[in-house]
Amino acid sequence: MNNSEAKSAIFASIRQNLAASLPFDAAHHAHHAPKDSTFTTPVLPELSTENLIENFRKNLESVGGNFSIVYDESEAAEILLMMIGEKKARKIAVSDSPLVEKIVGFLKMDAEFIENASADRLFECDLGITGAQWAIAETGTLVLESESERHRLASLVPPVHVCILEAGQIRQTLGEILELVQQSLSRTITFITGASRTSDIELTLAIGVHGPGELIVILIDKTEEAEN
Amino acid sequence: MEHLTAETFDQNARAALADTQLRGALKNLAVTFGERRQAAIATVENWEDLRERARSIKDETLAHLDKYLTDFADNAEKAGAQIHWARDGREACAIVLELLKERDATKIVKSKSMATEEIHLNAALEKTGIDPVETDLGEWIIQLAGETPSHIVVPAIHKTKGQIADLFVEKVGIEKSDDVDVLTKTARRILRTRFAEAEVGISGVNFGVAETGTILILENEGNIRLTTSLPKTHIALMGIEKVVPRFTDLDVFLKLLPRSGTGQRLTTYQSLITGTKRNATDEGPAEVHIILMDNGRSRMLAHPTTRQSLACIRCGACLNACPVYQQIGGHAYGSVYPGPIGAVITPQLVGIGKTKQLPFASSLCGACREVCPVKIDIPELLLHLRAEIAEGVTETSTHKFSEKLAFGFYSFAWSRPEFYKLGTKISRLLQKFVAKDGKIGKTSGFLAKLAPPLGAWTAWRDAPTVAPKSFREIWKSDLENK
Ligand code: SF4
Repeated sequence: MNNSEAKSAIFASIRQNLAASLPFDAAHHAHHAPKDSTFTTPVLPELSTENLIENFRKNLESVGGNFSIVYDESEAAEILLMMIGEKKARKIAVSDSPLVEKIVGFLKMDAEFIENASADRLFECDLGITGAQWAIAETGTLVLESESERHRLASLVPPVHVCILEAGQIRQTLGEILELVQQSLSRTITFITGASRTSDIELTLAIGVHGPGELIVILIDKTEEAEN
Repeated sequence: MEHLTAETFDQNARAALADTQLRGALKNLAVTFGERRQAAIATVENWEDLRERARSIKDETLAHLDKYLTDFADNAEKAGAQIHWARDGREACAIVLELLKERDATKIVKSKSMATEEIHLNAALEKTGIDPVETDLGEWIIQLAGETPSHIVVPAIHKTKGQIADLFVEKVGIEKSDDVDVLTKTARRILRTRFAEAEVGISGVNFGVAETGTILILENEGNIRLTTSLPKTHIALMGIEKVVPRFTDLDVFLKLLPRSGTGQRLTTYQSLITGTKRNATDEGPAEVHIILMDNGRSRMLAHPTTRQSLACIRCGACLNACPVYQQIGGHAYGSVYPGPIGAVITPQLVGIGKTKQLPFASSLCGACREVCPVKIDIPELLLHLRAEIAEGVTETSTHKFSEKLAFGFYSFAWSRPEFYKLGTKISRLLQKFVAKDGKIGKTSGFLAKLAPPLGAWTAWRDAPTVAPKSFREIWKSDLENK
């Protein structure tokens, strides 16, 4: 396959066709030019951490996510223990996030925690635990960067995904987050908003088609006395 | 694609109309997605500004497509992706086949991609004995049924859960159940075994960022994440029009696409992939191949009217809003891309000669233009294509000229309602002028020249459309007002 030949042909065609369009462009532009000057990004008020948490919670819950707030890691571990018990999870896939490692370290139980599981083993896991690098309050979204955490499969393959988040990681808008993640541009950046879903059969919502059917976020808020 | 003749379109449309189940499903689609979309766009204050912004980003990109495409390819390569160029579908299929052959790969998982549908990649693979597995639930259903998608977002919208249940009983041997959860879990269970063994994952691309070489893929199910992270090799097929200049441009498109398509603020998952993994022990495929495909796209750059087709982000909103699509569904269009956007891009992709009926399969009501997140003026495009058809089928140059003129100003007037009144005045002047010129005869002569396109229009008026105002009515009242 001669790739450079195809490439040159495509570029020649692009340039030739754009040139052919020139005589028509001005007239068309006069009628159809986008009114770009009207575009302004709405200026948002600076939100307090409390507001950000509240917005995040509200929007996460609106897409079916489950939310708990705790003061510190050991409390996060207690909640996690309860959840693992409730789900009767025996095999648990964990990411390599130091926060997750620390919290899992608190757990005294006989479930098996598997870091860096192979695909085969992952398919046997009944719960996955990851951290996240950022969260978007306006959409209830978790943002995971591959350079910070090996996140892709533990957050996706098991039927339940538990994500441990810290209050300082929340930003209000998608726009802010895009600017942040661009700085260190990980090989894979994943946005997660709610559980895996489909409406492919008669537009009826079904949860957990390929990814987890349940998304649980445990937020650690050390900034102030979190109400409980 | 098959030749779409007046007869086949007519047959398809009539069959669809007689299918009450299908029409029920389409009604459900229009109402459900219409309402969800309305609710979702109400969650942003500056919806109209976002549409303008998106369109101006697309216009900027397309006007300098050579530059942005070069940047995209260079940056993706720098990050470790391998770039391939395909002039047409045949070349794109050949590249995929070559990549599979070199890797001796036969176990392929695919995620939903209109571009791969467009080039009939599955058929090309099957010819060589490779059976790629579609992993999007809707796509898998129609693959099992041996059908084609009838909607670009919900491919199996034409099937009932009863039909899907029967299909699963027959093809995967489950006990019959029409519980959607049971059907969904069945797909999960079976497709997981396919994912576990897959050697190559094939996906599409929603956006490619020139500045960073990043590809962005949106989804709800999670199968795209699996397709792009489990197999050793990831092949992404991307139309050359999918480029956007800057990483932060994604903000605008991520606000528009899910809201317009499924009425979500964001789809469940977005994967932003830049090149290959940086350490051998990291998660993800060892190789990423991006095939940049033209397949008729660069041709559309040749005129600002046709160029806007390339701004399409495949959200499906124009299908859901279209009174014709709502009545006849996707298959009647006889092409991979149905609905209003299909009626304009299919003739441009496969050649207008094969698809003459498509630009007439519309009532020009403008609902598509209203909902389009990137403000594509589909009615203007339809008229542009009709004018091209009129030009092509008419013999004499005077015919050609008068038709082009009539269509030209009509197209202009229709696409700019505020100019419509002005247009009618011009039309009267034009008629007088033409009559005086004597070549064409009296005013009736001028109107006679309109017969072919008007004839085509009126012929299609018995297609199931619900135009608020027909072309004919407008012409009639215009004549009466004289
Ligand atoms: S033409 Fe507009 S509304 Fe239709 S699919 Fe494309 S972007 Fe969506």
